[in-house]
Amino acid sequence: MDRNQRPRSIIDSLGEELIAILTPVSICMFTVVLLVCILNSDPSSSSSASFSSIATAAYSESDSDSSWDKFVGAFLNSLVFVAAITVATFVLVLLFYLRCVKFLKFYMGFSAFIVLGNLGGEILVLLIDRFRFPIDCITFLILLFNFSVVGVFAVFMSKFSILVTQGYLVWIGVLVAYFFTLLPEWTTWVLLVALALYDIAAVLLPVGPLRLLVEMAISRDEDIPALVYEARPVIRNDSRLVQRRVWRERRSSQNDNDDIEDRTNRNEVVRVVRSAEVDEERVGSSERAEISVPLIDRRPDQVENSETFLEGIGLGSSGAIKLGLGDFIFYSVLVGRAAMYDLMTVYACYLAIIAGLGITLMLLSVYQKALPALPVSIMLGVVFYFLARLLLEVFVVQCSSNLVMF
Amino acid sequence: MEEASRSDDSNLNPIRNRNPTPNPLSTIISSAQVWPTIDGPLGLTEEASVDYARRFYKFGFALLPWLWFVNCFYFWPVLRHARAFPQIRNYVVRSAIGFSVFTALLSAWALTFSIGGEQLFGPVYDKLVMYNVADRLGLSGLA
Repeated sequence: MDRNQRPRSIIDSLGEELIAILTPVSICMFTVVLLVCILNSDPSSSSSASFSSIATAAYSESDSDSSWDKFVGAFLNSLVFVAAITVATFVLVLLFYLRCVKFLKFYMGFSAFIVLGNLGGEILVLLIDRFRFPIDCITFLILLFNFSVVGVFAVFMSKFSILVTQGYLVWIGVLVAYFFTLLPEWTTWVLLVALALYDIAAVLLPVGPLRLLVEMAISRDEDIPALVYEARPVIRNDSRLVQRRVWRERRSSQNDNDDIEDRTNRNEVVRVVRSAEVDEERVGSSERAEISVPLIDRRPDQVENSETFLEGIGLGSSGAIKLGLGDFIFYSVLVGRAAMYDLMTVYACYLAIIAGLGITLMLLSVYQKALPALPVSIMLGVVFYFLARLLLEVFVVQCSSNLVMF
Repeated sequence: MEEASRSDDSNLNPIRNRNPTPNPLSTIISSAQVWPTIDGPLGLTEEASVDYARRFYKFGFALLPWLWFVNCFYFWPVLRHARAFPQIRNYVVRSAIGFSVFTALLSAWALTFSIGGEQLFGPVYDKLVMYNVADRLGLSGLA
């Protein structure tokens, strides 16, 4: 019966919310590592089949170049890629400014369909080929069609089963991330660092496109139509106090990052086929701040409380942490690339990324505005990868082979 | 206590109040609500659910048994509480039946194909099986 008016701080449910965001990130990374280990372990596959996309437009790496050449080439590649993404994000800001929301939603659904159908189909074909699974093409096409169309529904419609939507978003992240791991090695690392820097600029600078997007969305009180992973909101129902989380800023600016893909012919002729998704959208990350407000329901003036309570129901406006799909993708790219070296680097990078994500969430609770989720994790991940590869491996191998430790 | 549940009732009670008398006790009891979707209070209200269930059921006829399955999964409480939502239940049950029938047919075909293999189909097998089709179309040229 006591009027407990102490506002519940974020600490009370921090663990639950952290787990709600760490689980899908971990699942995404684990799946990408699994795919990398399965599909790249076959040494008989043609390693000369190059994978060209916009990220290798300026320079495609070959084994014979010197380190400096590779580095310069990778740097040029990432410049091109970041420039393309900047342009695409500004186009997105422009469209949002002109209120072409329907077009953006349609485009989101379309790109989800392309990713799930095309990339998903590719991965499945690669898996079938690897395991010589005796499935016929009719069944395969029906299953793929089903999978993609329901995925489009999940992305398109705002009120859909939370679990199914989350599953599909994670799966889209896995698919795009796996294809990014096929880039050459130096390009991947320089690209990750470049994207981390771009993320800081885009979200924090006043002229950054993602910040503009977020501010526009807040001022209009709309949701940005983008591929964003939203954790299940935590609803508390005490017997006396009905808690509700009020999101002060309910925006998240996530745009899915699709890749221009060219498939090369298996034979010697390198024929470039640009698939339909010539779209680049940057994936930044922003998370929403949250303030939790206890509803004091003793007073007779219940009107505004019931209204706000009504408004609090619903996925967008109730409290939940949102993480952009691009963060999923680039975390998984980092871990996937680490997996191409050895599993030891995978463990090191995984721990680094999770630590970075935790730090970002803490910063989020301090600053309470949209924050870039890429830089801290990527920087930690890259540092730990090189430390593990250069220093840790030697140590561990020597200890193990002399039966000292591990 | 009554105020809290009355604010619930005014907008969120998905079960239309069966007893018309706004008895505070009954509102407390009916505050143990049954929501039609599996997401509970985060999901749809009852009116929107009917619309959704019907749309998913109709769309599923476009060779989309998975959509029927998602329909059943999403409206699982409807299947469990048999008497609560008569209109939604109609569509969900029909979706479940459609899904089972389609899955039975598809798995019959797929199993026949994979177990039968060459002996049953002869040369047609090589034309239909997925890894050959992929090789022919050059789809598996990435790894």
